[in-house]
Amino acid sequence: MIAPALVGLAALYLWPFLSTFVKSFMKVPVFGAGTFTGVDNYTKLLSDEDFWRALGNSARYTLLVLLGIPIAIVLAALIEQAAKGRTLYRVLFFLPVVTLPVAVGMVWRFILNGDFGILNYLLSLVGIPGEYWVADDRFTIYAFAVVGIWMGLGVNLIILGAGLQSIPVELYEASAVDGAGRIRQFFSITLPLLSPSIFFVTVLTIISALQMFDLVFVMLGSVNNTAIDGSKTIVYLFYEAAFVQFKQGYGAAIAIVLLVIIMIATAIQFRLQRRWVNYD
Amino acid sequence: MTEIELATPRVLTAGRRSPRGRSASSRGQWRIHVLLIVAATLMVVPFVWQILTAFKTSNEVASLPPTLFPATPTLVGFDTFFASVPFWAQFAVSATSLVLRVAGQVLVAALAGYAFARLRFPGRKVIFALFLLMLMVPSQLFVLGQFDIMKELGLLNTVPALAIPGIFSAFGTFLMRQAFITMPKEYEEAAQLDGAGTLRVFWRVMLPMARPMLAALAVLTSLYSWNDLLWPLIVSPAGDNRPLTVGLASMQGQFGTDYPALMAGALICTLPLVIVFIVLQRQFFAGIASSGLKG
Amino acid sequence: MHKRLLNTAAVVAAAVLLTACSSGNTGGDSNEKVAITYGVWAGTQTPAMKEIAAAFTKEHPNITVKVEERPWPEYWSTLQTGAAGGTAPDAFWMLAQNIRPYASGGQLLNISDEIKKEKVDLSKYPKAVLDLYDQGDGKTYGLPKDVDTNAVWFNKAIFDKAGVAYPAADWTWDDFRQTAKKLTDPAAGVWGVAAPIDYQGGYYNTIFQAGGQVISADGKTAEIDSPEAQKGIEFWTNLHADKSSPTLKQLSDTEAETMFEQGKVAMYMSGAYWALKLYENKAIAGNVDVAPLPIGEKRATVTSGIVNVGYAGTKHPDAVKKFLLFASGKEAAEIQARSGAVLPAYEGGEKTWMAAMPEFKNLQVFIDAKEYSVPLPVQGNAAEWQGDQTKYLTAAWEGTTSVADATKQYADAIDKVLAEK
Repeated sequence: MIAPALVGLAALYLWPFLSTFVKSFMKVPVFGAGTFTGVDNYTKLLSDEDFWRALGNSARYTLLVLLGIPIAIVLAALIEQAAKGRTLYRVLFFLPVVTLPVAVGMVWRFILNGDFGILNYLLSLVGIPGEYWVADDRFTIYAFAVVGIWMGLGVNLIILGAGLQSIPVELYEASAVDGAGRIRQFFSITLPLLSPSIFFVTVLTIISALQMFDLVFVMLGSVNNTAIDGSKTIVYLFYEAAFVQFKQGYGAAIAIVLLVIIMIATAIQFRLQRRWVNYD
Repeated sequence: MTEIELATPRVLTAGRRSPRGRSASSRGQWRIHVLLIVAATLMVVPFVWQILTAFKTSNEVASLPPTLFPATPTLVGFDTFFASVPFWAQFAVSATSLVLRVAGQVLVAALAGYAFARLRFPGRKVIFALFLLMLMVPSQLFVLGQFDIMKELGLLNTVPALAIPGIFSAFGTFLMRQAFITMPKEYEEAAQLDGAGTLRVFWRVMLPMARPMLAALAVLTSLYSWNDLLWPLIVSPAGDNRPLTVGLASMQGQFGTDYPALMAGALICTLPLVIVFIVLQRQFFAGIASSGLKG
Repeated sequence: MHKRLLNTAAVVAAAVLLTACSSGNTGGDSNEKVAITYGVWAGTQTPAMKEIAAAFTKEHPNITVKVEERPWPEYWSTLQTGAAGGTAPDAFWMLAQNIRPYASGGQLLNISDEIKKEKVDLSKYPKAVLDLYDQGDGKTYGLPKDVDTNAVWFNKAIFDKAGVAYPAADWTWDDFRQTAKKLTDPAAGVWGVAAPIDYQGGYYNTIFQAGGQVISADGKTAEIDSPEAQKGIEFWTNLHADKSSPTLKQLSDTEAETMFEQGKVAMYMSGAYWALKLYENKAIAGNVDVAPLPIGEKRATVTSGIVNVGYAGTKHPDAVKKFLLFASGKEAAEIQARSGAVLPAYEGGEKTWMAAMPEFKNLQVFIDAKEYSVPLPVQGNAAEWQGDQTKYLTAAWEGTTSVADATKQYADAIDKVLAEK
C-alpha cells in the first residue's frame, strides 16, 4: 500500500535531496560532470557577503511576517463572535490565498509604485511623503512582509478559527458566572487553550517565511531593479546561483545551509513550546 | 514529531458549527462588525484596485493624480492579454495537469496514509520521520533532481511531467494518516470478521469514511497545482505545454509596465480558481484547518 | 546570389520530395517530414519570426518551424536546463555575453561546413558582430540576424515646449549635458534625460567615447577603472548630480523606456530595437525623433546583435542548419526589415527597415553609427560580471561613492570572474 508513495518519494524527493547534498561538495560546470572540491562551496559561502545579507533579509522577513499571527488571532476571535456573516468574512480574508502568487506580485508592484502607485497617493493626501517601496532596499523587505502577511492571513485565520471552535463553551460560561469580562476571558481561557494552534501556525509561518522566493521574483525580478542586490532572500540566492548563474554546487550548498537553519529553528520552537503551549 | 501529532487532531474540527453561546451579545455585535468590515476592506482593496485598473488605458494609469474609476472603461487591457497569451491552450494545460495531480495524489496519499495509520511494518517510524522531514525542505531544492528524473523518463515538455512530482506528497500522506488515525477501529474490525482483506477494507470501508478529508486534500492540491510557477518554468519551456502561471509571468516580461493588460491577465488567470473556491469553500477551509500547510 | 542559392535549394528539395528519393545529396533525408522548434524571447519581433518560419517552410515544404516564445527573465535559465536536459529548442537566439558556456560545453551546432557548402558571403554581415561570437575555436555557431547600434531617442514636444533646439548631428557631451539641464522641469514632472545603469545602451558607449575600454585588449583584466573609463561613467553620474534624470529608484519602479513613452523624459540613449515599439505607440510616435550619440573624445557606439544558433542535441541537424542560414539570410532580413521590428544584420536590409516607419525620418543615424561602432565587451563569463553592475555602480550613480572607488571595486570583481576557469 505504501509502495507507490515510497517509490515516488524516494525517486522524486529523497534522491534529488541526496544528489543536492553531494553536489554541495562539488564544482559543477554548466555542462558536463562536476569535480569534488570538498567544503570549498561552504567556506566560500561563509565569506560571501551576499549570503549574509540574504540570510539577514530572510530573518527580518520571517520576524515581520510573524506579526501576522497576533492579527490573525484577534480577527479569528472576532469572526467567531460574530453572529452573522462568518462565512462571508472567511471567504474575503481567504481570497489572497487562492490568488496566483504571480498575480499578487503584479498587483502589489503596481500599488507600491513610487511615482503613480495608489499607496503613495493616499499617503500624500494625509501629508506623508511616499517612498519607493519596491525600488529602495531600505523598504523592500517591509513591502514583502506586508504582502506576505496579507497572503497568509486567510490560512492562519482558518487554523486558529478551528482551534477556537474546539474550546468548550462551558469554560466561558463558568468564568462568566465568576464575573470575568470578555478581555479577561480572552487572556485566561482563549489564549492558553488556543496555544497548540498558535504554535502550529508559528512553526508553519516560520518554515514558509524562510523559504520565501516568489515575492522577490515577481515584485523586483523583471526590471533592472537597483534594489534587488539588497533585497535577496536566501531561497532567491539559491535560485540565482543554481538557475541563473548555473553554479549548481554553490546553489546546493546554499540549500543545505537553509535546510539546517530551518531544522534548528523548528527544533528551538519545539523546545520553547514546553514553556507556553498548553496541551490539556 | 509527536507534538505535531498532538497539535493536529485539535484543529481537525473545522466545519463544525461553532456553538451559538459563544457569539457576543447583540449589543456588542456592531463593534465586532465594524472591526471586521474595516479589516476585510483592507484585504479586498488590492483586488478592487486591480479590477478598476484592468478597465483603464495605460496612459490613464500613469497619470497623476490617479483616477479611482476608469475615465472611459475600455477592454484594451483584456485584448492585449488575449492577443499575447494563448489563454485556452494554457488553460487546458493547467486544468489537465491539475486533474492528473489531484487524482494521483489523493490515491497515493490515501494508500500510504492508511498504511502509516493502521499497518505495522518494520521501519515505519523511521520512514514516517523522513516524510515529515521532507516538509521542511524548500521545494526548490528538489527541482534539479526531479528535472533529471523527468529527463530520464523522456517526459520533459509534457503535461505528465508537470503533474508527476506533485502526485507524491509527504504532506498529503501526513494529512491522510491523521484522518485515518482518528477513525474508530470498529468498522474495520467488523469488515475483517466478514473475511475482507486489507485492501478491500481500505477500499470499501475506510476510503468512503475519509471522503471529507479526501475532498479537502483535493482542493488543497488543486490550489498548489494551479499556482505553481518554478517547476513548470523549468520542465515545460515550450509554448504549448505551459500552464497559465507561466503565460502570465512571461507577459510581465513582455509588457513590464502595461498595467491594465497585466491586471486584466492576472484577473483572468485567477478567476477560475476563485470560482472553484467560492463553490467549494467548505472543503478549502476543512483542508486548511486540518493541515495549515501553505504549499 | 543568396537568393539564387535558396531557390536552388528549394528546387532541389522539391525535386527530392516529388521523386521520393531518399539518397538525396542535399544533406540528409530531405524527403522526411521534419518539425523543428525556434526559441526566441517574447517581444515585438515574434510576428516577424513566425513569418520567417513560414517563408522557410515554403522553400522547404518538408520542414516546418515552430516559433517558441519564452519570457525574457526566464529565457536563459530555461534554455540552460533545456540544453542540459536535451529539450532545448532546435534553433534559438543567442547573445554574445551568453554564448561562451554553450560553445565550450559543446551545446551548439557547428555550422562552418554548411556556410562553406552554401557559399555564404560573410562580408554581408557586420564584422564587429561576427567577431563578438568568435570563440577562437575555428568554428562558427551562427550568423547574426540583426545588429544594434545606439543613438539618442528624443521627444520633440518637450524640446519645443522648453524652447530648446533639437540636437545637432555633431553635438558634444557638454551640449548633451546642458540640453538635459534645460529640458528638466521638476514642476511639470519632466526630466531632460533618463540615466539608468545600462551597459549596452548607456555607459559602455561613453566609456569608448572617452577613449577608454571596459576590458583590456587581452581580455584578462578589467579597465573600467581607468581614468578614461571613469570619465565615461562620470558622463552619467553628472546627469544625476544635475538632477536632469529621474533617480535610480524611480527608474527601477518604471523603466527608462517606459518613462520616455509616457513623455516624462525628453531624451533616452538606447538602441534601434525600440523603434517599432515607439512607432506603434500612437500617443507618442508623432513626437519621437532620433539623433546620433554626442561626441566625447571621439565618436563611438557599442554594437551587438542576436545570432541564430542550433542546438547540438537536435534530432534534425541538417534541417536546423538550413533554417539557421535562412533565418539569418537575405529573405529573412527583408521580412524583419519590413516588419520594422529590428535592424537586420544582412547588408541591404536597412532601406526596407527605414521605409517600414516612414514618419521616423532620421533612422539613418543608427546605420551611420555602424561606421564608428565597437563590439560589445563580452570577455569571459560576461553575463555574470555584467550582472554585477548595479551592485557596484549604484552608489556612484546615486553620488554616495566616488566614481573612482566604485569602479575600482567593480574592476576587482570583474577580474575575479575573468580569472575563473
